[in-house]
Order: sequence, then C-alpha cells, then structure tokens
Amino acid sequence: MDRRTLDRLASIVGEAGIVADRMRRLAYESDGLTLEREMPELVLLPRDTDETARCMRVLHEAGIPVVPRGAGTGLSGGATPVPGGVTIGTARMRDVLEVNASDRYAIVQAGVVNIAISRACAKHGLFYAPDPSSQKACTIGGNVAENAGGPHCFRYGSTTRHVLGLVIVTAEGEVLDLSHPVADPDGYDLIGLFTGSEGMFGLATEITIQLTPMPAATQTLLAIFPSLDAACESVTDIIAARLEPSAIEILDKLTIQAVEASVFAAGYPTDAEAVLLLDIEGGELEVETTVKGIEPILARHGRLELRSARDAEERERLWAGRKGAFGAMGRIAPDLYVADVVVPRTRLREIVRLATDECTKRGLKMSNVFHAGDGNLHPNISYDRRDPDEVERVLAAGRAIMQACVDVGGSLTGEHGVGLEKQEQMKLLFSPADLAAMDLARVALDPDRRMNPGKMLPLRACMETRTRPIPGGMRAEEARP
Amino acid sequence: MTMDSETLVDYARSLDCIHCGLCLDTCPTYQLTGRESSSPRGRIHLMRAVAEDRIEANADFAEEMDFCLVCRHCESVCPAGVEFGAMMEFTRDALATRARPGPLARLARWLGFRVVLPSRRWLRLTVTLLGLAQRTGALRIAAPLLGLRGRMLASFPRVPSRAERTPLPASTPAQGPARESAAVLEGCVMPELYGRVNRATVRSLAAAGVESRCAPDHVCCGALHAHNGDLAGARTLARGTIAAFDALVDDSGAPLPIVVNSAGCGAHMKEYGRLLADDPEWRERAAAFGARTRDFAEFLAEPERRERLTAALREAADSAPTRPTTYDDPCHLCHGQGIRSEPRALLDCIPGVELLELEDAESCCGSAGIYSLLRPQDSQDVLDSKLAALRASGAEVLVTANPGCQLQWESGIRRAAMDVEVVHLAEVVARAIDGSGD
Ligand SMILES: Cc1cc2nc3c(=O)[nH]c(=O)nc-3n(C[C@H](O)[C@H](O)[C@H](O)COP(=O)(O)OP(=O)(O)OC[C@H]3O[C@@H](n4cnc5c(N)ncnc54)[C@H](O)[C@@H]3O)c2cc1C
Ligand code: SF4
Ligand code: SF4
Repeated sequence: MDRRTLDRLASIVGEAGIVADRMRRLAYESDGLTLEREMPELVLLPRDTDETARCMRVLHEAGIPVVPRGAGTGLSGGATPVPGGVTIGTARMRDVLEVNASDRYAIVQAGVVNIAISRACAKHGLFYAPDPSSQKACTIGGNVAENAGGPHCFRYGSTTRHVLGLVIVTAEGEVLDLSHPVADPDGYDLIGLFTGSEGMFGLATEITIQLTPMPAATQTLLAIFPSLDAACESVTDIIAARLEPSAIEILDKLTIQAVEASVFAAGYPTDAEAVLLLDIEGGELEVETTVKGIEPILARHGRLELRSARDAEERERLWAGRKGAFGAMGRIAPDLYVADVVVPRTRLREIVRLATDECTKRGLKMSNVFHAGDGNLHPNISYDRRDPDEVERVLAAGRAIMQACVDVGGSLTGEHGVGLEKQEQMKLLFSPADLAAMDLARVALDPDRRMNPGKMLPLRACMETRTRPIPGGMRAEEARP
Repeated sequence: MTMDSETLVDYARSLDCIHCGLCLDTCPTYQLTGRESSSPRGRIHLMRAVAEDRIEANADFAEEMDFCLVCRHCESVCPAGVEFGAMMEFTRDALATRARPGPLARLARWLGFRVVLPSRRWLRLTVTLLGLAQRTGALRIAAPLLGLRGRMLASFPRVPSRAERTPLPASTPAQGPARESAAVLEGCVMPELYGRVNRATVRSLAAAGVESRCAPDHVCCGALHAHNGDLAGARTLARGTIAAFDALVDDSGAPLPIVVNSAGCGAHMKEYGRLLADDPEWRERAAAFGARTRDFAEFLAEPERRERLTAALREAADSAPTRPTTYDDPCHLCHGQGIRSEPRALLDCIPGVELLELEDAESCCGSAGIYSLLRPQDSQDVLDSKLAALRASGAEVLVTANPGCQLQWESGIRRAAMDVEVVHLAEVVARAIDGSGD
C-alpha cells in the first residue's frame, strides 16, 4: 500500500483505529477455521458509519479489496483476510444506540456482541432471540452476514427473521440507509438480500433488530439415552406429534465427556451415549401440555433418565454446557473442523452413521452435536493442523459428508456460511447459471467485486475475482502510521 | 522451533487453544482497544507463532504481553481449559531474562522484587517514607513532576499511623471454646497498609471458634514476582513460605490449614505445586501446601464454621440496616480460585446487610498487582467502567477481598470524588461482631 493511502486512512481512524505492524496483523490471519490463513495488508477499526464510509472511499480509489470482520468466530473462513486486502473490523463499534421497548426494537452498532443486546433489554422483559452458541463473543454484524442460527432458532427462526433495518457502507463508500423500525418495508427486500451475504455486499455498520418478549414460562429437559439413534428417533416423533419445543439439541458421548471435563461441566452423565436437551417455552399451560406430550415419547424410545431443570441457574448451566461444546473439544486436539450440514430430519440417523463411517475409516476422531430440530448437524472432527496428512483426511471426510447430504436432498450449510471452506461444494448444489445469477446480484452492489473477494462463489465457475496483490507489498516499518 | 523461541513460550499449553473466541469479550484490554492482538486468543496466537518461528518476539510482542493484566478472566470462560495465567508467567519470565531493560528499570526491579518485598524492615521503611511524604505535603509537591504515576501516588490512601502498623500476635485465641486452629498469612504489604484487615481477619476467625496462628518471620509469598517475570525469585519465596508454614502444626503434629485474606496471594499459593513441579525436593510439599490453602471466605463459608459464625453474629447483632452495600469479585478470587458464592454467603449471614448487584462484578478493576504502578493510564482506563458500574449500583459501601483491589478502588473513588467506603470482607464481618459498624 502506498504511503499516501496509508496516511489518509490513518488520519480517518486515528492511531487507535489502525493495526499496521506485522506482529499484530498476524493475530488477524484467521477466523475460527484455522486451516485457512492469510496475512492482512492492514487492519482498520473504525468507530462509526462515517469513519467506515470514509475509509471505504479511500480503499475504493486505491482499488484495494476489503474483508469485513466481526469477532472472527466464523467457522467457514468468511473473515479470513485476502491477499493484499484490508480487513475492516467492527470491534470498536460496540454501542447500543437505542432500545425501544414499546415498539420492541433496538438499534445497535455492528460490533455489538450478540449477548449484549439481550443484556441491554432484559430489564424490559425482552431479549434478542437468535442465540448462536458463540453468542458471548460473536457480533450482530457477523450474525447478519452469516444469517446465524442457534439452538432456539427452531422456534424463533434464524437471524434474517429478526433484522428490521440496516445501515450499509458499500464497496464504493456510499452509505445505504435501510433502517426501518417496522417489519417488511416497501419495495425490494434489500435487507433480506443482504442477510447471509457473507460480507460480499458491503459492510453493515448499524443494525435495527427486533426484540422478543421473554416467555412467561420455560422448562428445560435433559433426556439421557443409551444410543444416539434413540435420541434421533425421539426427535422425529416429537415433531411428528406436532409438539413444539423451542430448542432441540443432541450431544453425543465424546462431546459430553469433553464438556464435563471443562469449566462448563453441566452434569451430563459421562457414560451416556447421547443426551437430548430440550427447552419448552410459552404460557404456563402450554409448557405443561407440551411437556406432558413429550415425556411418553422419550420413554418409548428408552430414555434412561429424564431431568428437569429446577431453576434458572440449573437451566443456565445445562445450556452453558451445550454452548461450550465447540471449545471443549480443544481438550481432544488443537483444532476442530466443524461441518454444518442440513438434512431432512428423517435422514438424521442415516447421515450421522455415514459421517461416523467416513471418519472412522480415515482414522479420525469425530464427535457430534446437532440442532436436531432443524436437521442441522455438526459432525466435529478433531485434528492437528501441524499434520498435513491428517488435514487432508479431514478435508476428504468433510467433502464426503457434504456430498452425502446433498444426495439426500440436504444442504451444505445450516448457519456457518460457505466462506472459503465450502466454496467448491457450491457446485454440487448449483449450476453455472445459478452461480452466475448470484454473481449478478453481487455486482449490482459491488461492481468491482472488491468486498470479500474469493469467498462463497467457486472461483472458476463464473468469474475471475479481481484480487491482485498490491505491488511491492507493505513493510512493517512503512506501515506504521 | 528454535531453542530461543522454545524458551519464550509454553508451547504445549498454547496448543490447548482452539481459537473459538469465547474469551474475547471478557478481556479488559480487548474491551479497551478492540484489537485482536490485545485479546487472550490473539495473545495465545502470537505466542504460538513465536514458538513456531513464524514471527520474532519483538518489542510489539513484548508490549502486548505487558499490556495483559493477568486477571485470568479468560480462563474462567475458556471451554478448552487453557491455562492462560501459567502461560503468561512463563513468557514474561523469559522476556524479562532476555530483554535487557535500561539500567534504571533493572535497578527498580531488583530493588522492588529482591530487596523490598521479601523484607519486613524494608517494607516498613518504604511505607514510612510514603507516609512521611503524605503528611509533610512533599508528595503533593512532587506529584506533578512524576506525571500520571505521581497523580496515582497522590490519590493513594493515607498510610496508617505507626501504632496501627503492628504485626499480628503469634496466636489469637478463639472466642469461647477453640474448635480448631488455622495459620493466617499476614502478607507483605498488608500489615503496613491494611493491618486493620489482618486484625479483622483473626477477629472473624475467633468468632467462628478458630484460633489463629501466624508465621512470625514470614513476609512474602512471591505472587507479584511470578506475575511479573521473576519466576526464580518466586520459587525462592515459595520454598521459604512452605517452610515457614509447615512449621505451624496442631496438637497431633499435622500442619494447619492456611487462611489467606488476599486473593492474589491465595491464588498463587494454591498453585505452588505447579510452580515447583520441576523441583523433586519440594514438589510434593508444595502440592500439599497448595491443597491446605484456603481463602478467608472459602474457609468461613464451610458449613460448620459458618454456623458458629452465624451464632456469634446473632448474639452480637444490633441488626441495624447497614448502608447499601455491594461486592466486587477480585479476579484472583473468582477466576483464579473459582470462589464466587462464598463471600456473598458470608455477607448473607450478617444481619442487616442488603447486597446490591454490581454489574460486571467479575471484571478486572485494573489493580492487577503492581500493574497500576507500571501502567497507570491503562489501569485507570480499566477502572473507569468499573466506577461507572459502582455509581449505577447505588452502593455506599464496596466490599472486596484483596488488598490490591482495595487500594485501586480507594484511589479511584477518591479521584472520581465519589462517596463510597471500600472495605475488606473481613472488616464487614468483624464490625458486625463488635458492633462498631454503621
Ligand atoms: C464456539 C462457536 C460456536 C458457534 N455456534 C454457532 C451457532 O450456534 N450458530 C451459528 O450460526 N454460528 C455459530 N458459530 C459460527 C459464528 O459464530 C457465526 O458465524 C457468527 O455469526 C460469526 O460472527 P462474527 O462476529 O464472529 O463474524 P466473523 O467471523 O468476524 O465474520 C463472519 C462473516 O461475516 C462478515 N462480516 C462480519 N461483520 C460484518 C459486517 N459488519 N458487515 C458485513 N459483513 C460482516 C465477515 O466478512 C465474514 O464473512 C459458532 C462459532 C464458534 C466459534
Ligand atoms: S476461549 Fe479458550 S480456546 Fe477459545 S479462543 Fe479463548 S483461550 Fe482459546
Ligand atoms: S488475563 Fe485478563 S487481560 Fe490478560 S488476556 Fe486474559 S482476560 Fe485479557
């Protein structure tokens, strides 16, 4: 990057908003998918829409690619830097701008952490419903970009159902104000289009989200099963019986053991083959009848034990265990590959078995956690990125699992996005014409394809991305503002 | 991996991090900067990169390691069980040995760690000088010359009078029949600045039927050394501490449980086993020592003692309502020792105390041992949001359980011109017994 561009950027965000030295930039080389790494040319941390827009204009003039980044908890390489690109992080845009309890919405900056929204509106008896397991760290901007889901999205729907408005800064540095405190504004649903765009349509700086009233009653059940199959089958039956828990999660034995060894030990029995975790929410009566309906189904499938959380604290603990599951796998190996496939619920068992086989035959250690209600499963494969052969086997197993899911009518990603990781597999689902159509939507907003280039759309299928390394690169000394 | 990088980073521990990011939001330095390299995940990533020879441990690296408060909040939320505190102690020690700081800084380190802290006489002299400077107004005059550090010093709580700075007696009998005895750590700075807390500690123990014994010649446990890159010094002091306390035994010859009213010291002493793991002669004694170390609140909250204490409190109580009170968790109590409910349970035993919630009570106040002296600006920035939370809580009394935090809060509250009294948990208990509270 030339000196002048750098100086202009530095004068916009100030010293605290720029990360230029090589050592610190290295901390940004990956998101939660540590397999993919790239050094950003520069990292900018603007404070608001205006600073972001001014930076983007400078970068537009200089023709430099941009990668938005929230908390970097993504699991598909969405926030992995691109060669010669600038990473723009939202970590200093953390203000809750407005909470409107009577109209049930909040306006927040993009870098606000998911859980902070619920904290900010708790006193009004409201919360922000989508609850990714990373909710204590991930940002609302990242959630919008990935259309994140979470255990309770079975009842409440994923992020896209909760976004009312956006302020977007486009690749050219234009500010697009799509804020609406009401659902379903007139005209094309640009907000719907943006949600799930993985940072390729622009950078969201402010987000208006819908708040949800806390349910009058909640009951959390933990059912312990002698087999994973039995747990899966009860889910199918619960749903077939038109019973509607708000969250339906399954954890397998290896996951249970890792969680129980962690600070989030929730009291799951470590000798169980599987546990089923259910939240039933609603009015008192509704909760009671739903629980009454569920109990015999669990019994019929041979549950060994059924626990019901006695109070909010125990409920919190049971869920904290589930939400710590990914991290807890750090006890097994230094890295974790999280597949994110979705299949019709009735095919869950079949796919779990297949995934297990694919891993076993490659000598890989796999554990399972899934949002069973949505048919979204996460076969988690433990590995060590220092072992190239193991990495190859992990990727091969991942590909085999994705292929199998597509074959039974499922999809590649339930919530983590395509990013770098599942790019090639997009071709399993979409024809070149489909992909070209997607690219058209993108160039409408980003004609130069400079926003998060080289992600999501497979490279050869439709077009060449125009990333080019910046001539000469940038040396640490030069980069210091 | 080169020899050099290997000695800089606890590589095996760094591999425990799975890069999930769940620790980010809890980290005070990430909160302040929003910079990944100032977050726990970022720091571990950089450590690992150093160990793998991908980057050099340059000045920027050292700065990010220095910036960390070692509050260990990241450990409390890490599902992978990363032992961040231990990793940071390792790296700081290596950096301190390798990097050659200027002669003045070296002298200050040597004076502080090797001369003053381990010696009762030197500590007393230092604090006396400080008190003198306060009383004569010399500090007020000198403060502006010292910049921010001077201003910190100027808002330092008043050094107690000489009469108050007396050590505890070798034994303080239990009130009524003695049920058991415990060894009490007096600490290094504690008798000089917070002798009243030590007295309140043995007073509370007495009310719970516990005789308190002290190790007369013991001074420093070495926690500050370990946190600030002097592991060798820390090991020497650990051995001395173990020897001093192993000598305190009950009638049957069994060593006494050790009660600690300073969270930072307690957390460190509980981990002596790790500190001396490579020392075959001391390893086992160190582990046994760690296992008998108890925080003040942890010790008294155990059912039998709590019952006895409650009875004593009931007898004494003029159960007049106290001023609105809140409790702030010292990092090395909640994150370092996992002690959260015990102090609250003790406060619960005291008639008339109504506890208000303090938002983010588990986040660091910026004291962090000697951090407030080493990095005064960062320390104050960290405290700012805590002061806001305190203001919002409406409390007029803030209870803590660590001398460093007590100092930090007292100075901060004074600078912010707020009207909140800061007390140690032991003081609240002792006042309730003796009715000298409010
Ligand atoms: C332990 C763990 C558990 C997880 N559980 C879940 C789960 O239950 N459900 C789920 O859906 N996901 C889950 N994830 C994945 C991840 O947390 C989500 O994808 C989350 O939405 C990412 O948010 P982030 O702020 O970390 O974004 P990042 O990872 O920083 O970025 C993600 C993508 O969003 C883009 N982006 C970020 N901010 C903006 C912005 N302001 N404007 C435009 N684009 C932007 C980036 O370019 C990137 O493509 C989990 C991850 C972990 C580590
Ligand atoms: S929570 Fe633990 S495993 Fe996750 S990033 Fe932080 S230190 Fe690493
Ligand atoms: S110890 Fe505290 S300051 Fe240091 S990385 Fe962990 S949370 Fe941050």
